[in-house]
Amino acid sequence: MTSIRPSQVKRRSQLARRHIELGAEFEHCSNLIVVKDYGSQTEVDQAKKLGLADLSTLPRIGFKGTGAPDWAAYHGVTLPQQPNTSAVQKDDSLVAKLSHQELLILSDLGVTSTQIERLEDSPIAAQTYALPRADSHCWLAVTGNQAAEMFSKICAVDLRAHKFANGEVAQTSVARANSIVIRHDLGSTPCFYVLTDASATEFLWDCLLDAMAEYTGAPVGVSALRTLS
Amino acid sequence: MKLLTCPLNGPRNIAEFTYGGEYHPMPDPNITDTRAWAEHVFFHDNAAGVVTEWWCHTASSFWFLAERNTISDEVIRTFEASELFNQRIDFVATNSKEGKL
Repeated sequence: MTSIRPSQVKRRSQLARRHIELGAEFEHCSNLIVVKDYGSQTEVDQAKKLGLADLSTLPRIGFKGTGAPDWAAYHGVTLPQQPNTSAVQKDDSLVAKLSHQELLILSDLGVTSTQIERLEDSPIAAQTYALPRADSHCWLAVTGNQAAEMFSKICAVDLRAHKFANGEVAQTSVARANSIVIRHDLGSTPCFYVLTDASATEFLWDCLLDAMAEYTGAPVGVSALRTLS
Repeated sequence: MKLLTCPLNGPRNIAEFTYGGEYHPMPDPNITDTRAWAEHVFFHDNAAGVVTEWWCHTASSFWFLAERNTISDEVIRTFEASELFNQRIDFVATNSKEGKL
């Protein structure tokens, strides 16, 4: 029995029950609760091969509109040059450009970045609209050298390393669910963030684990991801 | 597999797209009578040949236009809506106009 429970904070992942069933150890991260690990001593090795992590409680937000890029740049966001690419910020948060007029901002794994909080508190400019991505989308991470091959079973976009470079973004269908896929490697380990409509969270989690089974993929905690990054 | 090239996301499986109907330039609502407005909203040409159509890449909610030959089902080109919609249109509330069909 873990001493920290997801129900101790207001926001918990749609997968909280799945994590408890899997024997997860939770940890406080800023004012959130994330899965630290699942009790395995080899989770870092697992993440290097093929791992699945739930980052759904970590902060994220989006902005859309003709004024959004200039407004974000004014507030210190380093914008990617092209749509469907992402840029790592100085504070390790990640900004993905989904179109000429749409941004998605993801927290770093340690939740040390204050950029999302700052942007949420900043007065919004004309023709700029906030998108509550933390409420609308789940956030999973698929890690490991076998991740791209596993994705070929459930995603039509070629995510192999020589076709889909680090930092690239694909808005596509994953297991028939509309998803945003961002390649954001952890050190030398390939990592793909997958953001999908929150209502499909459990479906996607189960689909990914099912697709990962033949490669002996398994859930991993945030602790293993932090070790690799 | 049938592919369609999204101007934002590149070539994708047709299953990722939603058809949005024929494109028609919008008539000026201030000078258009009710019949012409109904024609614009409800009726389509359904032409045999090259037509311009709205399509949406559902994974990114990106609407764009495609020129497609409805006889051969060949897509001639796809392009961003900003190519045609490059000016903001503000609708000013006016007194409702009585129209007769």
